[in-house]
Amino acid sequence: MANSNPLIQVKNLDLHFGAFHALKNVSVDFHAGEMIGLVGDNGAGKTTLIRVLCGIYAPTSGEVFFDGNKVEKFHPKLAIDQGIETIQQSVGLCDNLSIARNFYLGREPVKRVLGIPFLDMGKMREKSTRVIRQFGLRANVSADDEVERLSGGERQSVKIGRAVEFKNRVVIMDEPTNHLSVREREHVNELAVQLKEQGLLVIYITHDIFQVHKLADRIVIMENGEKVADATTDSMTAEELEEVIRQGGRVVEKREAV
Amino acid sequence: MANSSAKPLIRRHAEIGIFLIGAVLIVIFASTSDGRWANLYNIGTILQVTATLGLMSLGVALVIGTGEIDISVGSTFGMGALAYLWLAAQVDPAIAAVAAVLVGAAIGLFNGLLVTRTGTPSLIITLGTLMIFRGIAIALTEGFSFSIPYAARKGWTYFVLGGGDFLGFNTALYWLTTLTVILLVALKATPFGNRLLAVGGSAESAHSRGVRVDRIKLSAFVLCGMLAGFAGTLEAGKLGFADGSMGRLMELQAIASCVLGGCLLAGGRISLPGALMGAFVLSSIQSYLVVTGVRPQWFILVLGLIVVLAAYGDRSLRQWALRK
Repeated sequence: MANSNPLIQVKNLDLHFGAFHALKNVSVDFHAGEMIGLVGDNGAGKTTLIRVLCGIYAPTSGEVFFDGNKVEKFHPKLAIDQGIETIQQSVGLCDNLSIARNFYLGREPVKRVLGIPFLDMGKMREKSTRVIRQFGLRANVSADDEVERLSGGERQSVKIGRAVEFKNRVVIMDEPTNHLSVREREHVNELAVQLKEQGLLVIYITHDIFQVHKLADRIVIMENGEKVADATTDSMTAEELEEVIRQGGRVVEKREAV
Repeated sequence: MANSSAKPLIRRHAEIGIFLIGAVLIVIFASTSDGRWANLYNIGTILQVTATLGLMSLGVALVIGTGEIDISVGSTFGMGALAYLWLAAQVDPAIAAVAAVLVGAAIGLFNGLLVTRTGTPSLIITLGTLMIFRGIAIALTEGFSFSIPYAARKGWTYFVLGGGDFLGFNTALYWLTTLTVILLVALKATPFGNRLLAVGGSAESAHSRGVRVDRIKLSAFVLCGMLAGFAGTLEAGKLGFADGSMGRLMELQAIASCVLGGCLLAGGRISLPGALMGAFVLSSIQSYLVVTGVRPQWFILVLGLIVVLAAYGDRSLRQWALRK
């Protein structure tokens, strides 16, 4: 897999928020058909990195290549159009809209009458209803209910269902199993593996190195905005990787020096 | 129980409060004014005022829907009226009306660009433009008023643009009805409406789904400006003249209409019928105070008190609905 051209290539990425240096010279390659575990403590820069990949932040300097082409403009619309779907931790759903409306937000299916685009509510309801049933939301939740009514797990299910439903090339999951029950968690992990097996690139962000070590092909560890480790899961055990995180990446710096 | 079925309804439809208040006020006004309030002529007048105020309120409601606010609409209304009157004396009123709407659009664009490009709160930006365009309106008229000669008030385009009555009602009412239907459909049944409410609900989430938040906000400001400019046109058509103070304080009435009508100032939840009902209630109160001969000095005071009471009543109703 590593021999093929990377689907996403990040080169010397820097990102400043005012005086705060959020990403420091990050370079990393991601390949199609690969599952990456992106791990690190709070504030390590994991979410910032993927927010660049999904177009929310534009980097201060450095380059991002998608499928061999340099990314010139960063906007979520462009990323989504390219097939990069992101399951964000805190954003992604508007509480005041129904599940069906959230499901298709930004890419609403339309029926044109006299050239005027009208929402195809029938299709929106049908598809989102199927997904919420698949994900086992409470039986009394309908596609027309506002997201405000949903529990944390149900919200997460809607986001994941939405990411799976569209034809994508990359699925980025930021702490996808937060708020989920054991059963829901297993379901999400199975889905992640399925997506990978379908040839998608899956980037899985988590704190839980032991959980992701079982699933992922490769683990990338971040610390203080820097990439401190990048290893395949068969070359390093979860315990070794955890030690890297615990040492704040210092172990890896020594290794690189050797 | 009636209560248990009414509560979810009120929770879902924030505009119910204003409709109840409207109904109560109609009964009170009709029964205490000796027929001076509840007659066809007076209702017609109220509906004409409702039409122009309502058009402004619809625009403000759209901006509130995105989580911003536009308090400059009173000045936009005045600029629209002046542009219409100035041009209608020279060209066909239809062309003058288009120009007035364009003036409104330009003011809306100015507001929208300032808000989205600078990231400054819309409250302060539009407070500034409220004064800027009021200042321009006063400077343009130099203390005099613009008016259309009676000879120019004959054509059918003048009649259609607020200058006449059709089936007993000022033509402005038909414009309001048509535009309300169009905007309601746009809000509920098109991608634009979906995105507009999404931006107000959570701009961050909408952005992460690829919605171009700034563009949506900009279009809401432009629409709001156009509606205010057009409302000014219809009012100018009705009166036939306008001075630099045209539309003064109407921005506050428009915002009050929206809030009374169940539009959440935080954005994401608006009701266009509610905003219209709010406009109707405000114009009804005004008319009641006029027909019952309340001295003009007390007029604003009493209006304010009733607005506060209505808002309090509406809030109590909603809180009751939220209790289990």
